[in-house]
Amino acid sequence: MSRKPLSRILLVEDDPDVQVVASLALSEIGGLVVEVCGSALEALTTAPVFQPDLILMDVMMPGMDGIAALEALRKDPRVAATPVVFMTARAQSHEVARYRALGSLGVITKPFEPESLAETLRGLWESRDA
Amino acid sequence: MKASIKSLTDDYAAALRAYLEGGGEAPLFRAYQIGRSAVAAGIGVLEVAAAHQEALVLDLLHLLAPDESALIAKRASEFFAEALAPFEASRRGFQEATGVLRDLNRELQQRIEVALKDYQAAQAKLDERRRMEALKDEFISIVNHELRTPLTSIHGALGIINTRLGANLPEEARRLIDIAYRNSRRLARLVDNVLDLQKIESGTVTFEIQTQPLRPLLEQALEANQPYATQLGVTLVLEETPPAVRVAVDGDRLIQVLTNLLSNAAKFSPPGERVAVSAATSDGYWRVAVTDHGPGIPESFRGRVFQRFAQADSSTTRPRGGTGLGLSICKLIVERMGGRIGFETSSGRGTTFYFDLPMEGAPGEAADTSACPESR
Repeated sequence: MSRKPLSRILLVEDDPDVQVVASLALSEIGGLVVEVCGSALEALTTAPVFQPDLILMDVMMPGMDGIAALEALRKDPRVAATPVVFMTARAQSHEVARYRALGSLGVITKPFEPESLAETLRGLWESRDA
Repeated sequence: MKASIKSLTDDYAAALRAYLEGGGEAPLFRAYQIGRSAVAAGIGVLEVAAAHQEALVLDLLHLLAPDESALIAKRASEFFAEALAPFEASRRGFQEATGVLRDLNRELQQRIEVALKDYQAAQAKLDERRRMEALKDEFISIVNHELRTPLTSIHGALGIINTRLGANLPEEARRLIDIAYRNSRRLARLVDNVLDLQKIESGTVTFEIQTQPLRPLLEQALEANQPYATQLGVTLVLEETPPAVRVAVDGDRLIQVLTNLLSNAAKFSPPGERVAVSAATSDGYWRVAVTDHGPGIPESFRGRVFQRFAQADSSTTRPRGGTGLGLSICKLIVERMGGRIGFETSSGRGTTFYFDLPMEGAPGEAADTSACPESR
């Protein structure tokens, strides 16, 4: 199917160092446009404005966690259809299944490989509704 | 019965009259006998007493001197005491029985109270254990997250330097960055392994057991591990397996075990060698075996192969990059799936690590096997 290629990513991550590393991996290596949010609440206000193609979000964050953020995003018609990929500690297969059931497109395990992070997201992006 | 009570009253009256007429104590004794035989004949004690009373009152009582009246009353009370004795005995028996029952009751109640207290104590202990387990799980999940966050930035930063700037760095810096990068990956594996071991051991991990064909799992494991083996110049080969072998396993976990055995086998193989994977029946189990042509396991180490952080030779730790936990995790996983793990080794010739899984639907498979006699 011919679709527009993946270009805009909203990165939601509370750790500032991981923010730098992940956004460099996505932009410098992956050639993507990246906007960074330091919390789930920030993501809820930024996402409708930035209009990302895909949201890459940490699961464990202080305050609102990634799961609650996903549920909130799904209720906002402006971003309800935006795919979300979780970034988390190694999850068990039943946890991954739960993230999928909640509507996430996939899960990326921490620590991720910076050379292939963008490629992995592109793969998930292409696989949507396939 | 009425007639006989009437005659009883008459008999009493006659006996009393004889006594009053000077018959001495004999008529009184006779009255006593009359009462006894009436009771023996089935007349109730109260009726006998009533007949006796009537005889006294109606005919004679007013004629008696006080001492005579007392004597008659004494005889009567002796008679009634004797007649009532069996009732007295059973009353006492009844009281005793009541007492015994009451004691039994009390004892039972005490036992119930003790049992209830034991139950409550056990329940409290169980609750406490559940609470501790939940705390431990939460702690592990936090440790997991907290260890991984810095690891993610270290690994990511080094990876970016490697990819983007590697070519511009002096040789020495590039070598050091490469060392740091490889070791951050190893640290990530170690975190995985420690947490995995803890989770499997504590039973908090869920195994999703499904009966499924074995061969596709072997194929997946080989495919996933071939790139690593290729780096070491080793080829992974899947030998022919009996058709339609099905096993009840958690597929991901089985591949985890195979990955461990395959990467070990590749690590210890000389470049250019093959590592063979086979499946065959063994003693009522399906045996999956991973065979290398490496140096074999030194005799002194054979007893500690499945121990944690055990590695044959501390000098192998660094270049081979193991965490020392892989085989203990394999053992736990295989055992959780109802299987067993072991190895055969020969110095200088190689090692076979195998695990045995319970057979699923063995009779059907046997028929399949005989239809394809060339399969092994």
